[in-house]
Amino acid sequence: MANVIRVVRTYTRGDHRGLILLDRADIKKALKDPHKWGEKYSLWVTYFCTGCGIIEIPPVITARWDAERFGVKPMATPRQANLFLITGYVSVKTLRAIIITYEQMPDPKYLVAFGSCPIDGGLYYTSYNTINHLDRYLPVDGWIAGCMPRPEAIFIAVTKLWKMIDGEMVDGYKRYRKNIDYYRKNQERVLGREFIESIPPPVTVET
Amino acid sequence: MREEAIKQGIEQRYESCLVTVPREKRVIISLPKDSLFSLIAFMKEQGFQHLSLITCVDWIKEGKFELVYHLATYQDGIHAIVKTRIDRANPTYQSMIPLFAHAQTYEREIHEMFGVEFVGNARLTPFLLTNWQEIPPMRKDFDTKEYSERMFEHE
Amino acid sequence: MNRGGTKMTKRQLTLYFGPQHIGMVGNFSITLTVEGDTIQKAVANPGFLHRGFEKMLENCTYTQGFPYVCRINVMDPDPCEQVYAMAIEELAGLEVPPRAQYLRTMALEMSRLSSHLLWLWAYANELGFDTIGHWAMAQRDYFIDLFDMITGARVYHIYIWPGGVRRDIPTGFAEKMQQTLAGLEDSLRDYDAVFFDNRVFRRRVDGVGVLSQEEALRFGVTGGNLRATGLERDVRKEEPYAAYAEMDFEVPTMVGGDSYARAMVIRKEMEQSVFIVRQVLDKMPAGSAWRRPPNPFKWNIPAGETYVRMESARGELGVYAVSDGTDKIYRMAYRVPSYPHGILVLEKLLQGMNIADVGHMLLSLNVAAPEIDR
Repeated sequence: MANVIRVVRTYTRGDHRGLILLDRADIKKALKDPHKWGEKYSLWVTYFCTGCGIIEIPPVITARWDAERFGVKPMATPRQANLFLITGYVSVKTLRAIIITYEQMPDPKYLVAFGSCPIDGGLYYTSYNTINHLDRYLPVDGWIAGCMPRPEAIFIAVTKLWKMIDGEMVDGYKRYRKNIDYYRKNQERVLGREFIESIPPPVTVET
Repeated sequence: MREEAIKQGIEQRYESCLVTVPREKRVIISLPKDSLFSLIAFMKEQGFQHLSLITCVDWIKEGKFELVYHLATYQDGIHAIVKTRIDRANPTYQSMIPLFAHAQTYEREIHEMFGVEFVGNARLTPFLLTNWQEIPPMRKDFDTKEYSERMFEHE
Repeated sequence: MNRGGTKMTKRQLTLYFGPQHIGMVGNFSITLTVEGDTIQKAVANPGFLHRGFEKMLENCTYTQGFPYVCRINVMDPDPCEQVYAMAIEELAGLEVPPRAQYLRTMALEMSRLSSHLLWLWAYANELGFDTIGHWAMAQRDYFIDLFDMITGARVYHIYIWPGGVRRDIPTGFAEKMQQTLAGLEDSLRDYDAVFFDNRVFRRRVDGVGVLSQEEALRFGVTGGNLRATGLERDVRKEEPYAAYAEMDFEVPTMVGGDSYARAMVIRKEMEQSVFIVRQVLDKMPAGSAWRRPPNPFKWNIPAGETYVRMESARGELGVYAVSDGTDKIYRMAYRVPSYPHGILVLEKLLQGMNIADVGHMLLSLNVAAPEIDR
């Protein structure tokens, strides 16, 4: 977290004291790739309380932990969001809803699995109604371990996601389009053919 | 003690019932299924106006489902557990909706989780599960770990 | 208004409120049939959070079941641990030392406060008062810090277990708790000034979602929703558990059964909880925090059955436990307060209501979706 904000210089004007947060190198970097810069610092999360992990999201987005200073804020609709946080375990009914929500989000979009349940089932690995590996059904860009992860873990994950966006390592949405058959096969196994056939095909816009 | 008075009142009316008072504010009644509906109606008149829970226990070794009704009084907080056993191979029983309107949801869940048919409940539609193809999951012969391994893969 | 002879016909639409919706707290869905802005029919659709706890518990020994049960209701986790511990203690004949009963009371009241503050965040946000949401959540976080201090975890405490509590309170805890409680009391005055006494709030909730006492009794409603209709019923007074028999507190009751009454019951319960925790800290007896049960690796519980109940933040929470003499759980059926509230009562109240009040009703009845599904 020490790398997040760099105080380059302070100045005093009367009794007002200010901080300069960017220097020339930073500004040059931002102007070279304004697309990445804008995307990193405005990760808007689709507001979907998928599982028990949701209990740590209100503290994170409110005054005490304040995710907005990282640019992260909840957004009402998936159409206007670019980060999807799967907070906790995914039941079969929820899987149906998150597939539709994920496909409604426009590209580029990132999916972060929050908690140990999407990794391998967590505490509910013997349950008959929860899936065990989220990345077989949807492309996961990052994992946050814990049951429940602390708010600090979410912020560390956000800063790691920034580095990954800089390094162009988050291509979950591209993987999804390329390997759609693999994902659809796993989804159909759990959700049934009728549902899979009712999903409209993802629209591909070449960039 | 009021619990003893309740016990005597029930034993007088229903011969083949077994009533115990394990501790203060608890009465456990066990009786054959044909008398259960009239017993619950009688108890409701005696003050047991709160239906707390309806649940089911699978006694697979004896081949029976035990339906358990939890009733409570508002005046003095006495909680009664009323149980009856039905046949496991063909589980069907009459609905408690005429006495307690919200029995509908409990019966709906027991229907989905155990497979018991409740005659008189018009809303035995899927409740918690979706796209469920196996036997009702709360039955003792359903192995949840094996199902999870098969369907959702453990590694 | 007719325009040149064409007839205006009303059209019924089917809308899905949730699970992905900004007004939905928790993973729950309601299918609404609306005509204009008025709801004609609402069908609650739970099951998004169903994990099959009751089935998973049957594969566990009594000690192994302990980390599972707190996860039944994420917003108010300690009551589920309490009834689990109470059921096992009754079946096994375990005695709990008095100090542990006091610590349990304190943990339960802290859980009630954090659940009520979470409710305040959700409810205030729902009605448009975002600032109160920030305040309430930040205030709640101080209680979560206290939980962190005694149990090591913020959310899933696994603190109350058969025989007592897992560990005693550390030094410095009582001072920090008094500070947090004083802070909450100050803040309650602010919440009153900005939210509960606000004209806009009153216009939004007065007379909305009226549940009469007779209907509440018919639907098996318990807890704050029943107390808002005028009937003073609280399991803490009816059948005292933990150390409640030695506590002096009131049970807030309102009349009217509308959203305002329900909100005020919760607001007044927060005051009472602060009062109870203060008494616990003053009167706490010395002694051990845990009476060791038999060998946890092979703990056979005598065969039997029991029903234990307590008052969680939402109403009567109970568990019907059946044991068969072995060390594995035979059956544990949870009775959760949100079960009648979230399905039948919600469907009944939403009929004829405006779409804007759907999320409002869900929160006014303090429905916790994870409880309903288990």
